[in-house]
Amino acid sequence: MAPTGPLTAARAVGAGSEQPVTGTGHRPRRRRVGFDRVSMIVVFLGLPFALYVLLVLYPFTQAVYYSSTAWSGFSDVQPFVGLDNYARLASDDRFLTALGNSAALLLVVPAVTLTLSFVLAVLVTFGGSTTGGVRGLSSSGFYRVVSFFPYVVPAIVIGIIWSQIYNPANGLLNGALTSLGLSRFADFAWLGDSDTAMPASMVVIVWSFIGFYMVLFVAAIKGIPAELFEAARLDGAGRFGSAVHVALPGVLGSVRTSYVYMGILALDAFVYMQALNPSGGPNSSTLVITQQIYTTAFSQGQFGLACAMGVVLALVTLGFVTAVLSVSRLVERRLGA
Amino acid sequence: MTDPSTRTPTPFQRRQFLRVSALAGIAAPLSITLASCAASGSGPTTAGSGEAAPATGPTDADNPFGVAEGTVDAVVFDGGYGTDYASFAGDLFAELHPGSTVEVTASTTIAQQMQPRFVSGNPPDLLDNSGAGAIALSAIVDSLVDLQEVIDTPNLEGTVIADTLYPGVLDVGMYNGKLAAINYVLTVYALWYSESLFEENGWTPPRTWEEALTLGAAAQEQGKYLFTWGTEAASYYLTLAVDSAIKEGGDEVRLAMDNLQAEAWSLPAVTDVLAAMEQVVANGYMRPGGAGTQFTAAQAQWSQAQEALLYPCGSWIENEMKEQTAEGFVMTGAPSPTVTTDSALPYDSIRNTPNEPYVVPADAANAAGGKEMLRVMLSPETATEFARTKLASTIVRDTVPDDAFGSTALAAQIDMLEAAGDQTFSWNMVSTYGMTAEVNVLWNSFLSGESDAATLAEGMQALFDRIREDDAIVKIEIA
Repeated sequence: MAPTGPLTAARAVGAGSEQPVTGTGHRPRRRRVGFDRVSMIVVFLGLPFALYVLLVLYPFTQAVYYSSTAWSGFSDVQPFVGLDNYARLASDDRFLTALGNSAALLLVVPAVTLTLSFVLAVLVTFGGSTTGGVRGLSSSGFYRVVSFFPYVVPAIVIGIIWSQIYNPANGLLNGALTSLGLSRFADFAWLGDSDTAMPASMVVIVWSFIGFYMVLFVAAIKGIPAELFEAARLDGAGRFGSAVHVALPGVLGSVRTSYVYMGILALDAFVYMQALNPSGGPNSSTLVITQQIYTTAFSQGQFGLACAMGVVLALVTLGFVTAVLSVSRLVERRLGA
Repeated sequence: MTDPSTRTPTPFQRRQFLRVSALAGIAAPLSITLASCAASGSGPTTAGSGEAAPATGPTDADNPFGVAEGTVDAVVFDGGYGTDYASFAGDLFAELHPGSTVEVTASTTIAQQMQPRFVSGNPPDLLDNSGAGAIALSAIVDSLVDLQEVIDTPNLEGTVIADTLYPGVLDVGMYNGKLAAINYVLTVYALWYSESLFEENGWTPPRTWEEALTLGAAAQEQGKYLFTWGTEAASYYLTLAVDSAIKEGGDEVRLAMDNLQAEAWSLPAVTDVLAAMEQVVANGYMRPGGAGTQFTAAQAQWSQAQEALLYPCGSWIENEMKEQTAEGFVMTGAPSPTVTTDSALPYDSIRNTPNEPYVVPADAANAAGGKEMLRVMLSPETATEFARTKLASTIVRDTVPDDAFGSTALAAQIDMLEAAGDQTFSWNMVSTYGMTAEVNVLWNSFLSGESDAATLAEGMQALFDRIREDDAIVKIEIA
């Protein structure tokens, strides 16, 4: 049978075969447009698309338009200023600082979170004893629950908890460090020192997401046939070798997805940063773009400028997603070769 | 033959699925970043096109603004003073105008909630634009009613409201010659301390910065600090510095600051004050760690743990720290110190910038109701009720009895105002232009010793210059 055969034949049978199948070279007959089909198109395609246009595409274009006005946000006057807002952003120190900080988060947070999550996932799936069957650490179920726990807590609560932990005078961290005899940490302001504020904030975000991505990677590793691990072990691979050569290629798809999501989160980071250091941290060292958008729009009444920042952030995000997708495609190709 | 239902997906379909999910991956960030700054609602519409109810009715002595039957929509900031005082006034309003009611809505995020309403021409009839999420007044000043009319009207007891107010309390609401806002709650800015603690140790509040340094040394001997600060409230030290510099240098300094002038931060009075404060920081008189401490926790270091002697703040401090004040802490205030003893303004002069700016939007459906509500609030009955329940005074005079309802801080506030007489002053550029976030950054660095007075002055000047030269920001000319 010709390549298109099975389909055509199946259609013909489905339609009642009142006409003989004429073979290849003919497109299948158009099906009658019935109520079922129309309603399906309306409900499953039309409605979501309409919602998408209304709630996503329309606000996009609106925001892009506002970014070319000097709109205050509180009146109906929207003087058109062309690309002025973008020119201002290019020389706006505070915005550039925020952009730099967001970029730092983007570089560090996903990489650290996913690496640690992967290590934990490896430990609880096949990091256990190397004798007997391939298995994780003993009581790995307990570790799984414990490390997933932070993900259940809302971001704002995490921010508040950690700002108490970092409290210079009576926080847990300084309490622990000083009781170990490190007296220089008495009254040390983790969130108030421009050298430590950003790393301290990153720790909070990483801490809250490790568990979730660990669970994700555990599921992905479980999807790899166990025989592969056994074969690798028979060939002499240790835990590290199995992790790098068997588990990692097997979960690459999950890594890519996670990387994109974690990156978007790092570019947002609004709730964490706002809870930990609402005014942008010492020397603006933890100020992120989303915070800058918020203050510019709501406290300073410059919605046009804020929208321009939003557009820049969207472009950065797009660039990031494209980069991740193309890098992962390259890696896949290499692994496939 | 293959049955269509058990057909395995062809590679083509799989790839298409991947492509769609990649698109979705791209769409997700866009929806987060862009949708957040889009206007909600249907965009700008013509003003005042809302309800068809008559905006005003006939006017007479009991109804000077011509309130018609209907509802007054009042949005009140739900902060330290709550909203029950507005509800109290609302009940009084309903008694005066049968058929009318006041609907008081509490809000803590004024700008976010009101922004779409201002844009669509459907703002509330009365708005208390206060709190950290307040709208920068310069952004809405052109769409507000001039409230001079309210001030010139007799209150519920027949006295013209203007004659019942503390002097100078309306200045802060004047925007380019228009009374755009009436700030309802009297707020004096002072150095707050425990009178009992000071008496025990034979200390007196510092009248000059030199005395402040001496007091700092005395505090240090006892393992205490002169000041403490919290990260979100580092700007209170800007307040202290500017108050002190204005007292030292006079009106010249006040005008330079409030009008964001080019040389504001290099005036001699300002430089002297900053130098003194730099010395306070260098001598270790600031409680360390403030840049990483939440501000109420920092304030408790002063009022509860009593690790710091003084705290520069507005007079809301007593109410704010009510639950976290040590037993026997007699909270009292003193004016901010000057640099020299022959300063341009006397030591007793004090900044009196009332808070809780009430505005009536011009597009409001029931603007007359909004104004009438203000008249009710500025009448003795409501103002006295406010003072009694909040232990704070409104801008209406003579509503606080001699015993100040047993509040030492309120009594101190009234005493300081009386001592100052007409030597009170006001400035407001930080909230007018929404500068708090950036001010906090600069002051946290300065107070923790990471930067010095010169860097601070340079940073503040750069902030002033940027706002002043930005044509997109409406400027308020202060005279």
